[in-house]
This record gives sequence, C-alpha cells and structure tokens, in this order.
Amino acid sequence: MPFSDRRVPMPNINGRSEPSFYALFISTLRKAPCLSPSPNAAFRSISEFKPPRPLPSSCLSNSDHCSHYFPQVILILGMSRSQGLSLKRKRPDTNAASQPLLDAERVLYDLIRSKEDMGIWTRDMKRETNLPDNVVTKSLKALQVKKLIKEVVNIQSKGRKHYMAVEFEPSKELTGGAWYVEGNLDTEYIKILKETCVKVLSKLKVATAEGISESINKTGLCATECSTQQIAEILRALVLDNEIMEVRSSGSGEFSSIPIGAVCYRCTNKGGLGGGGPKIGAMASIPCGVCPRITQCTPDGIISPKSCAYYAKWLDF
Amino acid sequence: MTPEYGIKLAVHLISTDFGDHAAKVCDCLLRKGTLALDDIVRTAKLSPQQVKTYLKVLIQHNCVQAFAMEHEGGCGEGPVVVTQYMLLFDNILHRMRFPKLLAIVSKELDKECEELFEAFLKHGWLTLQQILDRVPSNQNEGNCTVQDALRGSFTKLVNAHYVERCPAPDPFLVPPDEEKTPARKHDANSAKAVEELEIGEQCDIAKATPSKAKGFPVITDTCGDINGDKSIGNPPGVVIGKKRKQDALKLDTESGAASEKDVPWRANYKELVCHLRHKACIENVRARLDSGAAIVLSAMLEATQSAEKNVKEEISVLLSISTITEAVMQSEAGCSMTLERIRASLVQLGCHPNGVGADRTYNIDLKKIIELAQNDEVESMVLKRYGREAHRIFRLLSKSCCPLETTKISDTTFIEKKEAAKILYKLWKDECLHMEKIVLNESRQSQFMLWKVKKDTFWRHILDEMYHAALNLSIQIIELRRDKHVGALRERDVRLAILLQASLMKLDDALMLFHDF
Repeated sequence: MPFSDRRVPMPNINGRSEPSFYALFISTLRKAPCLSPSPNAAFRSISEFKPPRPLPSSCLSNSDHCSHYFPQVILILGMSRSQGLSLKRKRPDTNAASQPLLDAERVLYDLIRSKEDMGIWTRDMKRETNLPDNVVTKSLKALQVKKLIKEVVNIQSKGRKHYMAVEFEPSKELTGGAWYVEGNLDTEYIKILKETCVKVLSKLKVATAEGISESINKTGLCATECSTQQIAEILRALVLDNEIMEVRSSGSGEFSSIPIGAVCYRCTNKGGLGGGGPKIGAMASIPCGVCPRITQCTPDGIISPKSCAYYAKWLDF
Repeated sequence: MTPEYGIKLAVHLISTDFGDHAAKVCDCLLRKGTLALDDIVRTAKLSPQQVKTYLKVLIQHNCVQAFAMEHEGGCGEGPVVVTQYMLLFDNILHRMRFPKLLAIVSKELDKECEELFEAFLKHGWLTLQQILDRVPSNQNEGNCTVQDALRGSFTKLVNAHYVERCPAPDPFLVPPDEEKTPARKHDANSAKAVEELEIGEQCDIAKATPSKAKGFPVITDTCGDINGDKSIGNPPGVVIGKKRKQDALKLDTESGAASEKDVPWRANYKELVCHLRHKACIENVRARLDSGAAIVLSAMLEATQSAEKNVKEEISVLLSISTITEAVMQSEAGCSMTLERIRASLVQLGCHPNGVGADRTYNIDLKKIIELAQNDEVESMVLKRYGREAHRIFRLLSKSCCPLETTKISDTTFIEKKEAAKILYKLWKDECLHMEKIVLNESRQSQFMLWKVKKDTFWRHILDEMYHAALNLSIQIIELRRDKHVGALRERDVRLAILLQASLMKLDDALMLFHDF
C-alpha cells in the first residue's frame, strides 16, 4: 500500500475524532481508478460518498464531513502527488529529449511546445509546417504514443483536434475557465454554488457580491475559494432565474452597512428559502397560452377550441 | 391597426349580443376604418335599412360613434358634409368585462347604484326619464320615494364619474390636422390610429346638451346629405355644436327650460379603466415587493385620482410627504404605518424625492410598474412554453440594452453553447427574438449571430395571441351554456363554467395590461 491510514493524522471535529467515516472514505478512494482530477470533483466525491456499511448514529452528517475532512483529504492527495505517491501504478519516466524523433515529428513537436498552454489546431499545424496531411497525422500519432503530446478539448470549438505538449495544462481560453470540466459545463458545481449563494443571501437579507463571496469563503461552505468575480457571475444567473433581485443601496435601513448606490442583492418573494413558486401568468395558466399549434387554430377549423385535445384535458377534472 | 384576432374577438362579442348582421357591420368597420353609410352597405352586403338599424343599435350601445365631417366634393363640386361611422373597438371589448366593471361600482358605492349601473351596461344610452320610467307604474304608493332613491343613485354615479353624458349624436368635426401627424407620411396604420384618436377626442368634447337630446341619433343617407344639405355650407373650421346653433336656440325657445331628463347618459369607461389600472399597479407591487409598498401606492393613487387627465398617465401627480402620510394613515390598512416605514416603502417603489427639506415631493412612475407587470406576464409564458433555460436567455436579452452574441449569452446564462444556439433559434422562429448575422470575413468561423428582443413587435404578437385565447375561451363558455339548455345542470358544468369565466377574467387583466394600460 502506498500509504496507510495509520500514517495520516486523524482529523478532529470539535474534539471528536471520526475514524469510521474517514477510514471508509480513504479506503474507497484507494480503489478509485485515479486521483480526483479537480478540487470540485473531490468535494463532490465526499458529499456523495455513501459508506458501504452503516455508521454509528453518533457519526456526523455528510455535510459536516465535507466541510471538515475536505481540506485534510486535499492535503493528503497533494502530499501524495508531491511525494510521487500515486494510487496508480507508476509509469516509467519518459524524458522527451532523450527519445529519438523523426524530422517531421521533431518539427511538429517543437511547434506544439512553442504554443505552450494555448496548444494548436491540426489545421494550423499543417499550414505552419507545410507538411503533407498524412505525414502530420502519422507524426501526431507517434508523438502521442511516445507521451510527448496530448489532445485537449477547446471549449470554443469542440469539434477541432487540438494538441498540446504534456508538460502544460490547458489555458482558461481552452478549458472555458472555472466553470468547465473536461470540456463540459460543470453544472453540478454551478448548482451547488447557486444554492450556497441563495442560502447565504437568505441569512444576510441584503448583501453585495463581495459580501456574499467573503461569507462563503470564510465559512468554508464551498470547497474551493471563489473569487468575487465568480460569485458575481453566479448571482447574475440567479437574477435571471428570478431567485434573487438586484437593487441599489439607499444607505439607510437594511442598506445601512452598504455604500449608497452600490449594487446589492436580496431574495425575491418567489425564490429564497421558504419562498413560494413563481407567480403563473394568465396566458401560462390556460392551454392556449402554451399551445404549439395556436397559429393553426381557428374557430371553425380542424384545430379549433371545440375540438382541442389540450382543452379537453384541461377541462377534464 | 387592430390585430387580426382582436377583430375576430370583437366581431364574436357583437355577434353573441346582437346577431350576425350586426357582426357584419362591425367587421367591415374594423377592417376598413371609418365609413359612410353607402360604403358600409356596399361592403357588408346588407340592405340600407338593415345597416341603419344595426348602426343605431351599435351607437345605442356605445360601439359606434357617428360624426359629420366636411370633404372635398368631386367633379368640381363644392365641399360636402358626410356622416361617417367609426367603430369603438375598446368599448366592444369592455362588453367582455362587464362583471369586473360592476364589481368596481359595487365596492365603491351601494347595491342600488350597482343595479342602476347594470342597466347602463345592458342598455347603453339611458336618459334620466328612462331610468325613472323603470319604476312600475302600478306601484303608486311610494312611487316618489322609489324615484327619489333612483335619482339619488344616479347622482352618486354621476358624482363618482362612473356615468357621463353621451356625445352629440353626430357632431360636426374638424378634419385632423395633417401637420400634427407626421407619422402618417411613413406609416399608414399608425396614421389611421392617430386620426381615429383625434376624432374620438373631438367626439368626447361634443357632449350632448338638453337641446340636442332626443335620446337617439338620426341616421340620414349620404345621398340625402349630398343633395339636400349642401346648403348647410358650414365654413371650414366650424367646430362642434355651431352647426346646430340655430336649431338649438329654436328648441330652447320652444321648450322653455331645457329638460335635463332627456339628456342621454352612458357608462364612463375611461374612469373605470383608470380604476382597473390602479388596481393592477397595486397588485403588481404587492406581489413584487410587499404589502406595505402596496398600501403606500394605493393611498397615493387615491389622493391623486381626480387630478389624472389621461387613463395612461405615465407619472403620478407630485405629493408632499405629509400628504402621503396623511393619505396612508387615513386608509384602513395603513393606519398603523410609521413615517419611517412609509419612507422605506417610497424607496422600494423607486420614488426619489424632488426638492429639499419640507418641500420634498414624490411621484410614482406608473409606466414602469405597468412595464414590469407586462414583463412578468411574458416571462411566465416563455417559461411555461419553452422551459427554464429559454426563460433565462429571454430575461437576459430583455434586460440587455444591446444585441448579444451567442457565446456571450451561453457564458452568462451557464448554458452549453450548442444548447443555447438551439434555444435561440427556436425563440427566433416563434418571433420572440430578432436575429442579426455579422460576417467579419469570408470564412464560416467568422460569422456571429446577434440576438435581441424586439419589444414592440413581440408585444403586438403577444397581444394578438391573447385576443385569440380570449376568443377561444368565449367560444368554450358559449358551448357550455348551449349544453346546459339541453339537459339538466350538472355540478361538473357549474365548475367548468366557473373555471372558464375566471380564466377569461384573469386573461382579460393581462389583455388590459398590453392594450388599455
């Protein structure tokens, strides 16, 4: 075993140690095929972890485990990485410079390396090197086998084959930034952040984006530290969903701690904790308002209110 | 220009109440605009006598307004005075909301006033004599008491502005000034609407006086006008009333004191629509903010109601904080509100003080409240029809002051770009959005789509769909009533009738948001 539970310090929560959950989680992680690729995914792993055997009732809830164990788990994973410890079998160390490359491979490899974390599209490679298509294709395959380059997803154009030297991590322009994982929108993370923001805003009543971001980072409600910019983006999406509303501080009353004119947020009557659902408009509450065939409907036509199936269903109570 | 389903709804309402021939007259006036008698006969394909009869009925019920206007004669002839007929589309739609209008009178006044007002809604024009004649003549005892009570109710309705004098049967009007309507040069539809509005305003001013009152207008043939009335020869620019000056004087002399009992009166829809507009604003504020803000708004609107000149007043009249406080504390719901709470509600309502110190005054942006209510209605429909993600995209584009590119929309709304493009295309196909393609260079990769909500176009489209939905609901209600006559009334039918009627009234609230407010 690369490491054992006994070597890793047991975390304490308010003076209680929880060997059961912790041990179970680490042993499950060992069996995972690879280390968690991102802190977000690691956070999710803990929050979704279901112990294989029932734990004593005195054990803490999963959310408490997430908040308290997560930093320690990340430390362990970081230690594992930095010490070269891995849950996977070690691969032989491949030094790029030492491997013999053909001329075309060398040209392509130097070009790809020169693009650093931006990588390069195959068509751009062909244009810059003037190499024939079949040579480029063959050389790229060889370089991949020799573990000198890797294919990465470009979020702007997912259909394009984009390559990068293995020692670089894709830039934000390629990955899409904090909101994307492996070329796909991290909807789960966004959903967690949205719920967290609404929870915080329900407690604070009125707050700016900075205030909410500070509150989230201070209380450790979120796995990773979120910038104010990221929180502002989440809040903007919540405004669009009508869960919260954007207001300007008047400097008095509930806005007394916020500078006059500053943009701040509050929960709507519809959203927030315990809020009722959104009010349904008049058109939305009758069949015609949401009918996909309204343009073909006429009083005496084939599609008409008298013969309408949606009406029949609506009135059939 | 009235949307297509607006026309169909109006024709349906007239057909239900007055029959198919009246509906034909209504249809041709709606589609062709103001017409003279001959033109109506030709277009509706009815006999002149039939057209005259139905025009009288429609005028009696405030659905048509007759007016006389001078036109250039043809073939070197002098100017001729022609009587034309204009359909009052709004008044036809009010027929659908009689229960709502009655509810206002019932709430503000008493049961007797409500019953009297119902008579105005049922019969259109009524003179005081006709109102008094409603008392059965065999009730000799207490007849005076009943008549006095009716007079009292009538006076209350007049004082509350729920009834008004009818306009002159066919006032002589000045043709609308072309210079004041530059729109007509570019857009025939809006020019027509402006012209009809001016005519309507002039007709409103031409209220009937006792000397003109015989209750109902006399409809003459245009041929008769051309042949017999050239000698009237009123000089251009002669305004309302002056045409009949000599006749009026003659009548006054003959009848002595003019009989007020013969002046026709009708329901004052403008006042009632104003009431409904205020109610809609208050309900929107209550739902969007809280009841405190709704109470403050209600008090302010009540205090300024008499000063409002138009139904569609954009900004309320200015009020000082002391007047607002007094109005709030006088209301039942606001008697316990503190000054601090009132001030906080004014901030919530977006009222910024004008002036300084004790002279500070506040007003409310009613137009903004109405716009917010309209947005809520449309967004609710988009959410139900297209889903949550489409709703998010639609709100983003509604709030944005400029068109947005697909990637920007995708990033801001946290929707995958491919999915965002699909949703945008669907919304565009259903005329919710406007799309512009920008090509930077020849390559396909440099094409960008820009999207925005074109409010005026989309709002017109929504209004037409609302008319369509209202027409469908009305047809369903009639079908249900028809079935009721066939067999015994079932409990289920009663529930269905209530559901359909309630849905129609709720839809009518939304309709008024887009058309009347």
